[in-house]
Amino acid sequence: MRSLITIAFFKLFRQSKTYYALASLFGIELIILASAYFQGKNILDILLENLQKSFYFEGTLLNGNLLIYLILNTQWFHLPLILMIVLSGMITTEYKDRTIQTMFLQPIKKWQFILSKYIVAIVFTVLAVAFLAFTSFTLCYSLFGKGDLIVYLDTLNFFKQNDATKRLLFAFIAGTISMIFFSVASITIGIILRDAAKTWIVSAFFLIICHLLLKVDFGSHFFNTFFFAKLSDTWQYFFYTHIPWNIVYQNTLLSVLYTIILITLGVYIFHKKDIG
Amino acid sequence: MSITAHNITKKYDNRYVLNDVSIHCKKGEICGLLGANGAGKTTLFKVILGLITPTSGTVIVEGENKKKIGAIIEGPALYEYLSAHDNISVFSRAQNMPISPKIIDDILKKVGLPLDRKDPVRNFSLGMKQRLGIAIALLNNPACLILDEPFSGLDPMGVMALRTLIIELAEKEQLAIILSSHIIEELSKICTTLYVIKDGQIVRQGNAQKIITDNTDEYAICAENIQQAVAIKGYKHRIVAQCAHVAISAEEIPMLLKKLQEEHIYISSCTPELNMKKLFKITES
Repeated sequence: MRSLITIAFFKLFRQSKTYYALASLFGIELIILASAYFQGKNILDILLENLQKSFYFEGTLLNGNLLIYLILNTQWFHLPLILMIVLSGMITTEYKDRTIQTMFLQPIKKWQFILSKYIVAIVFTVLAVAFLAFTSFTLCYSLFGKGDLIVYLDTLNFFKQNDATKRLLFAFIAGTISMIFFSVASITIGIILRDAAKTWIVSAFFLIICHLLLKVDFGSHFFNTFFFAKLSDTWQYFFYTHIPWNIVYQNTLLSVLYTIILITLGVYIFHKKDIG
Repeated sequence: MSITAHNITKKYDNRYVLNDVSIHCKKGEICGLLGANGAGKTTLFKVILGLITPTSGTVIVEGENKKKIGAIIEGPALYEYLSAHDNISVFSRAQNMPISPKIIDDILKKVGLPLDRKDPVRNFSLGMKQRLGIAIALLNNPACLILDEPFSGLDPMGVMALRTLIIELAEKEQLAIILSSHIIEELSKICTTLYVIKDGQIVRQGNAQKIITDNTDEYAICAENIQQAVAIKGYKHRIVAQCAHVAISAEEIPMLLKKLQEEHIYISSCTPELNMKKLFKITES
């Protein structure tokens, strides 16, 4: 099993598309950073026109912390999209190139092979978010400095500089869990469809649907609480003045549960289906 | 160390891709599976290799080895972005096989691949990929080898080199080898046993040379001055370029060749021309 994980990593990092994905994530981050800087300035000017006359804010409000927050807001769509393309390729490329046949002409177990893909997908997702977090903090703090964070969530919430950094880090961790859910979903879709293009389309469709449903109020407490599409913005809870830890824990647990269900489903389908 | 497939049937919807197929190949034997495209050769191999589940029937592979069968199906499928070394390393590590640069070099040498090629295998010729595919199939010392259309797309030199390698593997390492082709000439040169498959059914099986002889009504006899031959006039024949296609039985061939030699017709080749309709005709048995 360990050797299967090692070779899955080896193959992933020997493919140029992996580096294209990381480069595109970084590129998107730069673009977001530039647009956030210009748009953020205008928004802040409108929002704080009156407040700045009455209150004193430490440093400039258009600082690294606000820009990281804006990056977080936008990257949670681009990041899973790119991750889903790269990671589903770990299985669909094997089908396209028929290397999966060659692999299963060796004495290896089906469940070990597919589980190793899921493990690699999870680790790669964690690394990608860590890369995004590292570059965001580095770029934003070095270019725009630190300062108090102002966030509009139902009302204006203010966080002191050090508190803001801590909350942003928590947000990255919570975001990682929902990213893992989407990465795992793309592998399961890849197992079912086998074809790369179909997997990309269905994965993108799944992601878009999840984002659309996130904003929909189902009028049912059960759906609003437990439906998987409702769990991907858990990271936002870190930007309320009082963090609702019980909701954070519950959503995290549910996300992990949905991820395990998807992995179990993928392993089962892969095991049942012929390699062909 | 043998492969036996008993009464294999594979049905997709209501269509039989394999219908009650049985084949057997023993240690040191090279068995050929001859059939037109779509006859069911690859499906049969996939069933034997466990890549697809048969509707009914059983496969028995005897042998103590951890890896029972090595195979190439539908051409070599390799990680094109990796080098030959890396491909061997990946497939070895996947099955927890101890591997080192020296072992990899030995494997590459065994199949006649250069040791100094570190570039991705996408740059390799088909013949080289075929050899690398065989090297991967032979990892972990399987007792049996299955090669699906191994000569397809190879140039004459590549065909000859691969043929030699297959014969060596059967003779020296005593592997049971099954190979498929739709080209009878290739199978007739190396196979001891032949199975003929048509529409998912085995229609002929037995000694390869006997099947060829029994189903040959015509021989192509080639010589520089074949047009001047008198001996062939006693038989129904047609001359195409420097070859005479003579309708003659296998028993009569030695006599005709002797007569041609007496006429100073120096024969460069004498090839059986199989009657394909007869060969692929479904027998009552």
